[in-house]
Amino acid sequence: MENKYQDQVYNFKGLWDLPSICGLKIVKKPAKTIVIATDLYDQNPGTSITEWNTKLAMELCNNFKLNPKEIIFIEHTPHKDTKLEFNRETFFQVNFTLDNDKFINPDWNQLTKEEVDNLISE
Amino acid sequence: MKFQLVFPKWRKLEGQTTFNLPPHGAVVFGATIPKDFEVEFIDENLEEMRYDDNVDFVGISMLLTTQVKRGWAIADEYRKRGKKVIFGGISTMLHAEETMLHADAVFLGEAEGHMEQVFNDFRKGELKKVYNFMNDLPPIEIVGPARRELYKRDLYYHKGVQMVDTFHASRGCKYSCYPCAVSYLGGRHFRPRPVHKVVEELATIDNNRLFIVDNSLAQDTEWEKELFKAMIPFKKKWCSHTIEDKPEVLDLAAQAGAWYVYQAVFDTSDYIKQRVKRYHDYGIGVEGTILLGLDDQTEDDIKRLVDFLLEIDLDLAEFTVLAPFPHTKAYVDLVKQNRIFNHNWDDYNAGQVVYHPKHMSAEKLQEMYQYAWDTFYKDETQEEKMFKLLKQVVSREIEDGTFKKRRQDLSKISFGQAVKPKNA
Repeated sequence: MENKYQDQVYNFKGLWDLPSICGLKIVKKPAKTIVIATDLYDQNPGTSITEWNTKLAMELCNNFKLNPKEIIFIEHTPHKDTKLEFNRETFFQVNFTLDNDKFINPDWNQLTKEEVDNLISE
Repeated sequence: MKFQLVFPKWRKLEGQTTFNLPPHGAVVFGATIPKDFEVEFIDENLEEMRYDDNVDFVGISMLLTTQVKRGWAIADEYRKRGKKVIFGGISTMLHAEETMLHADAVFLGEAEGHMEQVFNDFRKGELKKVYNFMNDLPPIEIVGPARRELYKRDLYYHKGVQMVDTFHASRGCKYSCYPCAVSYLGGRHFRPRPVHKVVEELATIDNNRLFIVDNSLAQDTEWEKELFKAMIPFKKKWCSHTIEDKPEVLDLAAQAGAWYVYQAVFDTSDYIKQRVKRYHDYGIGVEGTILLGLDDQTEDDIKRLVDFLLEIDLDLAEFTVLAPFPHTKAYVDLVKQNRIFNHNWDDYNAGQVVYHPKHMSAEKLQEMYQYAWDTFYKDETQEEKMFKLLKQVVSREIEDGTFKKRRQDLSKISFGQAVKPKNA
């Protein structure tokens, strides 16, 4: 990658080849790369990142030449301007098992915003 | 050649009045089947399966998640007998990978414009495992009319009174609500049918009472107004999901025969109270749809909400618990938080708690769900409230000369079964 940090809307083919999008930020550190995929529910015409995370994470590793053993993959749901609980901002770190060239068995661990900020700025 | 089209049965919610409406998706699909196929429709909710009928090809139309396991079992029986089985419909799309294990083919997407290909493949013995048209939705102009002649009509009567006919005027939805999978199924685009096509289909329906099954008509004011204006001469009486809360829309809806609408009630605000009042001001009844178990709700919130519903004079209320259907935000949120404890799709009927709520136990939410039903219908049963709504529509039909008397030959039959005497 040319840039150490990258913010973009990333297009991917989701379940049943549905055109899908997510927000993407990649922060490269000496030993780890933090990949933050943001679910764009209202704008995303296709598959959510949660339902596609194993494939999406590997696709990002391939496209951005990231080492699958060194990524910290975070699913981010942005805050929506409502008072409803389910529209609050959330971050989940997703731990995968690396099986040959595939990620399998996603396991989610909720992070606070501060924890994510610390990961990025460490 | 003969095609048998099956709509699988599902377990009905205990304690609730059961009405069997004619399934809509199956007959909309039926309209797309090539004309050289004779089509027979079995609604398993009302009739027995006939696996040994002499048919060439079998289609299973699935609408609900709570229906899929039964659909798969039916397919297994047909396939044991060497019949080829194709699945389609909303819950086929939601459960496509699991359904493929029980199918010769699954169809994903909307059927219009694609069935010649599928049936040609069948004729040639070259059915594909998946027909994926999720990203290739047909032009809305070619939709309809549904093949309602496929229904065995007498089965859809309750004590001589015909059930409403189902009908749709649009597809898709521009909203993306938390518990809803429509945006996954049909994209996030509202696709209204041209009003002249809607009118053309309405003219074919020999039933004065309709349920307009569209997700929400409240998505395009000008189209909505044009639709209601065009419906006025038909003098139909109909119920639907939400319509827009604008005086000119409500007025036209009332003139077009709006009988009652489903209105989500999610809080105890004055906004909701006024909205219900405005519907009533235009003579439109309101059935509140109340989703219980969201992460904002405590036990006290649910109790307050039920009290509020009684205060605002709702005509009917339908309580459900959150069911995290696949491909919804509710589902992915609960999966991430490892809160879903029951993955038996039979139980995804919106009456059974399958996840851990945030502010109470699953058992407590189940109890509160029952509390809501019992409390709301304590002084007047669901059947009595429904009868009041029916009386309103009968009065209007008598006024405008469209009332049809109940069929005496079916007066002791309910959905194809003899009515049991009360003291039997």
